Amino acid sequence: MQIRIRVKPGFYGALYVTPWVLGFLIFTAGPMLASFFLSLHTYDLHDLRFVGLENYHRLFTQDPLFWKALRVTVTYALFSVPLGIAGSLALALLLNQKVRGIPVFRCLCYMPSLVPAVASAILWQWAFNADHGFINQIVGLFGFGKPQWLQDEKWTLPAFIIMSLWGVGGGRMIIFLAGLQGIPESYYEAATLDGASTWQQFREVTLPMLSPVTFFNLILGLIGSFQFFTGAYVMTSGGPNNASLFYALYLFRNGFEYMKFGKASALAWVLFAILLVLTLIQFSFSKRWVYYEENA
Amino acid sequence: MSSGSNLLVGAAVIAALAISWMIHERGQITCPPDKACIRYMAWGNPEQMNVERGLTDRFEKENPTIQVDLVSVPGANYLQKETLMLATKTAPDVLRVDHYNFPKLVEDGYFADLTPYASRDPSYRAADFWPSAMAENTYQGRLYGLNVLFGGEVLYYNKTLFKSAGLTDPFILAKKGEWTWEQFRKDAIAMTRFGSDGEPITFGTLNPGMPSITAVLRGFGADWLNARHTDSALDDPRAAAALQFVADLVWKDHAAPNPAQSANNAFAFETGKVGMYFDWMGMTPRFRNLIKEFDWDVCTLPTDTKGENYIVKGNQLVVSASSPNKEAGWKFVRFMTGVEAETLLGDDLRREFPTRQAVAESPRFVTCTKTPYQVSAFVDCVKTGRILPIDDRWAEWTQDYNSDIDDLMAGRNRSAKAVLQKVVKDVDRTLHEPPGY
Repeated sequence: MQIRIRVKPGFYGALYVTPWVLGFLIFTAGPMLASFFLSLHTYDLHDLRFVGLENYHRLFTQDPLFWKALRVTVTYALFSVPLGIAGSLALALLLNQKVRGIPVFRCLCYMPSLVPAVASAILWQWAFNADHGFINQIVGLFGFGKPQWLQDEKWTLPAFIIMSLWGVGGGRMIIFLAGLQGIPESYYEAATLDGASTWQQFREVTLPMLSPVTFFNLILGLIGSFQFFTGAYVMTSGGPNNASLFYALYLFRNGFEYMKFGKASALAWVLFAILLVLTLIQFSFSKRWVYYEENA
Repeated sequence: MSSGSNLLVGAAVIAALAISWMIHERGQITCPPDKACIRYMAWGNPEQMNVERGLTDRFEKENPTIQVDLVSVPGANYLQKETLMLATKTAPDVLRVDHYNFPKLVEDGYFADLTPYASRDPSYRAADFWPSAMAENTYQGRLYGLNVLFGGEVLYYNKTLFKSAGLTDPFILAKKGEWTWEQFRKDAIAMTRFGSDGEPITFGTLNPGMPSITAVLRGFGADWLNARHTDSALDDPRAAAALQFVADLVWKDHAAPNPAQSANNAFAFETGKVGMYFDWMGMTPRFRNLIKEFDWDVCTLPTDTKGENYIVKGNQLVVSASSPNKEAGWKFVRFMTGVEAETLLGDDLRREFPTRQAVAESPRFVTCTKTPYQVSAFVDCVKTGRILPIDDRWAEWTQDYNSDIDDLMAGRNRSAKAVLQKVVKDVDRTLHEPPGY
């Protein structure tokens, strides 16, 4: 016997998407709303007290570490995002060449991004050792001194920016590579016929055609850099002298070490607001430089 | 496959998941009806957890009407897990709590008041315990736990390095009352050696961090906070002298490694490249396992104040306020801190110092056939040692201190007095914040 059940069009679509919707509501939207509620209270898992906007007010007016964490994170983002995008693009261009064994090179370049964040943080801690680390061995070849990368507050943030380049061969590079492979060969042939040099082809064909991908990487890179946490937590714990007190680390410390969930939630919403504003600004500017083929 | 069959398959999968979840949930509840079942939560390395499992088994044999389920939680997540479970009244009946977190949690009313259970228990006598151990267990004059993994901070020292530098053994000096901070400094300098290339070979000591540095601070007559814990007490010139002493060991005397030299444990005590090292008694099993190449032992920390600067700390075994089996919980706490457990953890493994004076002074404890032999150092330390000024804001103000003092310890600012001005300002700001912020 065969059972026949009549269902409305779209029923199966809705059914299949239900687990995701439930997951989103329970594990993302729900906690977000709860954290907004908490940001208006003081809460240590024991006492819940409504304080209105006091958590936000205190952050902006009475918390020097909030400003310090913001400064550290913004500086990190200002350097790590452009460097990361440039590095990923350069690597993608190299790995887009038609040479023998290119799949092997692609694999090798992608492999560092597979190393767990904690393991790579420990490796970098060794690399940045002032006395025995390989970075200072290289620096020494050029006759410079021995920067105390993770002990001197002047050098700590540059160390983290250098470390961020570890990720250039990861997902961002793959997206650039996919973008490069999506550019029709005929565009380059036409440019060659018109006498365009390699540099002109890169500037006038490759970059505009890659602009949606670059824009995508820029947005994700900026969000990622504002959420940077593991390296600082493992390598310096925010030191020395709060020189690597990244915003996410400060948030974590308030929430899960001091149990100040109200303040931590307020920090999270301020971060959300900052990222939202930055993303909207990027979207508004994107009309000037991002080229979508279908709009041409 | 038809759409109807699709639906049936989907429903079957969901039903299977639901059934397996229910079976799993039922599997958690295995308490026989004739027994009181309690859960005990703790953290520790496999060696520690094996010892606790063994003790739990013995407790169950002695108390056949009580079943204990040992829940092991990784140390890194322990605070979050215990706080969440206590707040949601899902905490195990008995928990081990690090004293760093005890004051805040007891203040929130999460632990059962054990005073009535103690007064009904004929085998319990508060006078059996070291006063410093009891000081950590009580809150507002009531008993809220019993101490485990207790002990004082001692000085582990490399006897081979002392001998090769022609120095008198510090244990002998301590017994004569001549083991002072100035002597410590002289010995540290004498044991430090650099190669012809300027690279360090050995250092006299490793500088103490938080909380070990408390012993130096108190040794100079200062302390962290005022008596009521409302303000920092580091504006005392004696505090500046103490921290200057520690910083000078690195930057003036070059007898301790700077942060770059000590990075990645390059000069850990077990490498044999360090003369003296501050740590708790619980480090003994680790050093016993790792150190094979040189002689080592323990002595008390230097003192100019007849040992008043020594520090002690432990963990507490507490019964959750929401436990339905408090009586069984109390029995278990008593067993886990009893003579048998203390003899095993204290005498045999040297993981902890016995909280009972009689056990600590018994021939079995003070006589030792394995390093460290000078066990009386542990005893002397606890006799005069004091607890740390841990309060509900300890994690925050020590973070302030650690961040600010880095300027001094990393050599960016050579004046302890100047650095302490910022420390005092930041610690006071934290202490003066209203609760909840």
